[in-house]
Amino acid sequence: MTLDKNMRILIVDDYATMLRILRNLLKQLGFENVHDASDGKEALRRFETCRYDLVISDWNMEPMTGFELLKAVRANPETAGTKFIMITAESATENVIAAKRAGVDNYIIKPFTTEVLRGKLEAVFHQQVA
Amino acid sequence: MSVATASDGAPFAQQAELDSNADNAIPLREVISMAEKVTAALKPLVRSLDKAMYRELKDMLDSIEALRGDLSKVDPDDIFSRRIPEMGRELSAIVSATEVATNSIMNIAEQVLAADKSDPAAYGALVEQHMMAIFEACTFQDLTGQRVTRVIQTIEVIEERIEVLCRMIENNQITPTASKVSDTEKRNRARLVKGPANQGEGISQDAIDSMF
Repeated sequence: MTLDKNMRILIVDDYATMLRILRNLLKQLGFENVHDASDGKEALRRFETCRYDLVISDWNMEPMTGFELLKAVRANPETAGTKFIMITAESATENVIAAKRAGVDNYIIKPFTTEVLRGKLEAVFHQQVA
Repeated sequence: MSVATASDGAPFAQQAELDSNADNAIPLREVISMAEKVTAALKPLVRSLDKAMYRELKDMLDSIEALRGDLSKVDPDDIFSRRIPEMGRELSAIVSATEVATNSIMNIAEQVLAADKSDPAAYGALVEQHMMAIFEACTFQDLTGQRVTRVIQTIEVIEERIEVLCRMIENNQITPTASKVSDTEKRNRARLVKGPANQGEGISQDAIDSMF
């Protein structure tokens, strides 16, 4: 079984360059239904009008971090089931443990390759990216 | 001006004169002579006290002069009005240059990806042309390298001056008060924000993979 290429993905990062890179990488993997937000607060506002299948978020953002966004998404019954991948430079073990406890589905350390991203998508959805 | 008096209220000189008339009185001449002897005996002590005090004051003055000399080496005006703002400008320029270069390279990559591949010769020429543009965009590295070198030099100057301050603190046995944690630092600690780890530090992707 393969991943649904039309699934709705929300990418969250405060660096426009990173959003652009992620969008291009996801496009290369066949995912074109990609939306973006520049921090956790903006991402939560997006959730008010739209449902997403997957959130790919950075950690270190102002005014709301990716970790705070993760907790907010998991705390809301309507969004709690959304898959959540953290892509971040925060590589302290305590961060990974805290994110795992908060319900993150996977965790990618920057810099990363398309293959790492593909592997994580497959691991999170238990399906192959065609 | 008040006149010195004896315990019964009469001035001393008057009292001595009265006492000289009494049978057991000490003559005034002897009192004066004794006073002169006591004063003469105390002179060396007073002189030695003067010398010790002078030496103490001289040492204090020397210390203050040395401290003033060290402080002039720190030159806080130079640090705060010139070097730190200059460092900020250099770092901003580095961020801008890398951003411009990254955007240029990404524009080129997007154009190549979106290009029509039906005519291999035309596509090959376009790719070649775009590859040259990528090389041009990469020239930012030379400029940012030079800017980073200047920032490092400024940090070294500041480091030297902080060292002077540290020596002053050590030599003068000043107990430093606990360093204050800024509000941003407190907030970042609470939000588990540390930033990128240095090479060899932090958890690896493989270790993270084994946790999921």
